[in-house]
Amino acid sequence: MAAVTLTNVVKRFGIFEVVHGANIDIADGEFVVFVGPSGCGKSTLLRMIAGLEDISGGDIAIGGKVMNDVEPADRGIAMVFQSYALYPHMTVEQNLSFGLRMNGNPKADTERRVRKAAEILRIDELMQRRPKQLSGGQRQRVAIGRAIVREPQVFLFDEPLSNLDAELRVQMRVEISRLHKELGVTMIYVTHDQTEAMTLADRIVVLKAGNVEQIGAPLDLYDDPANRFVAGFIGSPKMNFLSAKVVDTSNSAAIIELAHHGGARLRKPLCETFPAIGAEVVLGVRPEHFFEAGEGDCDIPVKADVAEHLGSVSYVYANAGPEELIVEREASRQRASGDHFKVSIKAERALLFDKAGARIR
Amino acid sequence: MRTQNATAYRFLTPYLLIFAIFWIWPIISSFIISFQATRTVPWRFAPAFNWGRLIGDPAFYNALKNTLLILVIQVPVMIALAIVMAVLLNSPLLKARGLYRFAFFAPVVVGEVAYSAVFRLMFSLDFGIVNKLLNSVGISKIDWFSNVTPAMALIMIAVTWRWAGYNAIIILAGLQSIPEDVYEAATLDRVSRVKQFFHITLPLLKPVIVFCAVLSIIGTMQLFTEPFLITERGGPGGGTETLGLLLYRQGFRSLNFGYASAVAYTMAGLAIAITLVQLWLMREPK
Repeated sequence: MAAVTLTNVVKRFGIFEVVHGANIDIADGEFVVFVGPSGCGKSTLLRMIAGLEDISGGDIAIGGKVMNDVEPADRGIAMVFQSYALYPHMTVEQNLSFGLRMNGNPKADTERRVRKAAEILRIDELMQRRPKQLSGGQRQRVAIGRAIVREPQVFLFDEPLSNLDAELRVQMRVEISRLHKELGVTMIYVTHDQTEAMTLADRIVVLKAGNVEQIGAPLDLYDDPANRFVAGFIGSPKMNFLSAKVVDTSNSAAIIELAHHGGARLRKPLCETFPAIGAEVVLGVRPEHFFEAGEGDCDIPVKADVAEHLGSVSYVYANAGPEELIVEREASRQRASGDHFKVSIKAERALLFDKAGARIR
Repeated sequence: MRTQNATAYRFLTPYLLIFAIFWIWPIISSFIISFQATRTVPWRFAPAFNWGRLIGDPAFYNALKNTLLILVIQVPVMIALAIVMAVLLNSPLLKARGLYRFAFFAPVVVGEVAYSAVFRLMFSLDFGIVNKLLNSVGISKIDWFSNVTPAMALIMIAVTWRWAGYNAIIILAGLQSIPEDVYEAATLDRVSRVKQFFHITLPLLKPVIVFCAVLSIIGTMQLFTEPFLITERGGPGGGTETLGLLLYRQGFRSLNFGYASAVAYTMAGLAIAITLVQLWLMREPK
């Protein structure tokens, strides 16, 4: 087991800088997920930790030792690839033991490690099959097994579930979580799926365009995002953003007027920064934080466009002026398409962002 | 659907007619001719005439021996060379990759007569650059055209020069279809580049190598141009005569179509047999 520390890590491809000085501390035994949209640099960061990409600047330390110039095989890591990267001409058993055999590991120890990995992942029955004879989930298990037999200090997962169907993804998510508890080693996991990030991580690192936007526990990110990007990226369905303007600031609060909702106003208590009167701001409200009319501090009229009924809850996609809002409703309070109704916003449940997307607290 | 098919076949008819007349019929006809004595007028049906002669003909066995010798030595050497060339072409360290790719492929598009003439000049006893180079390192001149062993070696060198690049390009396509992350996984497993080549690249290239080998076997069984043009009609004294050349000599010099057809069918039969054996040896384990 080992801690992983990234200090001012920079990656350039030619003249293009794709990671701009990442600083991340990952504790020993922690499960950290790098999440962000395509092209945000999360996989590049993971590959730099693995040693598969050179570092253009900064330091990467594993277990307290700087690894910038250490060969990938000597970093004490094992990686699970998105495409599984299994050796197609070898059986499952040969796939698991290949690295150990090539390095002259004692036969008995190799067999022990392979057997243990097969037991952990419940793939004992598949040992004589080749990758093409396995389902997606089974291949992923073998890929994880190949990482386990290396007995690494750090596991790296590069979008390991993105090739699986929805049901299998959920199943494998649970298995990876169980594996982390069982092995207790440091795991770094890359995904663009925020649900995977929320369900697996001890802490999440949100990346955007090569910058670390925020690092925190899943619920901290959900409840207290640092900026509009994190607020929008974490949570499904995503947070609603309503255009607004500051009309007054007084008594540790800002009075804001929603731009497209008939002059509806909301008093938002603030403690850190006070925007200027007249400043354009954005109010962020999660779908489940739209209350019934009269229950909050400010009501706005909406018209239901489409309703998705998921059983316990429904999501109503509603038009409110030029803005489209997603409203969560309990199944008993379903809304049909075309219904006019009011939703209410509670100031304490709404987040305020400035025009550039920074949080106003 | 039936109307659609009928329309499709109407469009295909001109091609099918040409195919039937110039491909199917000659194949059937030559098979029939191989059972006929064609040096009498009129031709008569004599099943044992050509096939019986074939079994006891020293010229046939000489051509068969030469063809198989070239096959056994030249094909493996050329395929090995093609693999090495493909790996080098695939290396990210190689500059001007496009130029090398063109250079390796160029021999295939060079005219056969032109390249044969150049080879004759290069290997000429007194004026050839090859003998000059051998001389410069202290090796005495070799008479490439008058002795059987050097003449056979020359044929093999020429065929290898002409086709190694072609096979390298096919193998390169196979190499580029191997996913990069398989090698990355092996790198993380501390598997050296050499071991990666023998334990990952070669096994994954097997289908492409088999394909190249089958093409080369078929090509070598039909080998004609090089012994005809470079070593002057299979010289010295039939020392480089191949089955292709024997067929030509019987069919178009002696106008013995029946015997030439029997030789042609033997060549095709051998090519199929050798290819089947090879496919069986290289089959995927279950």
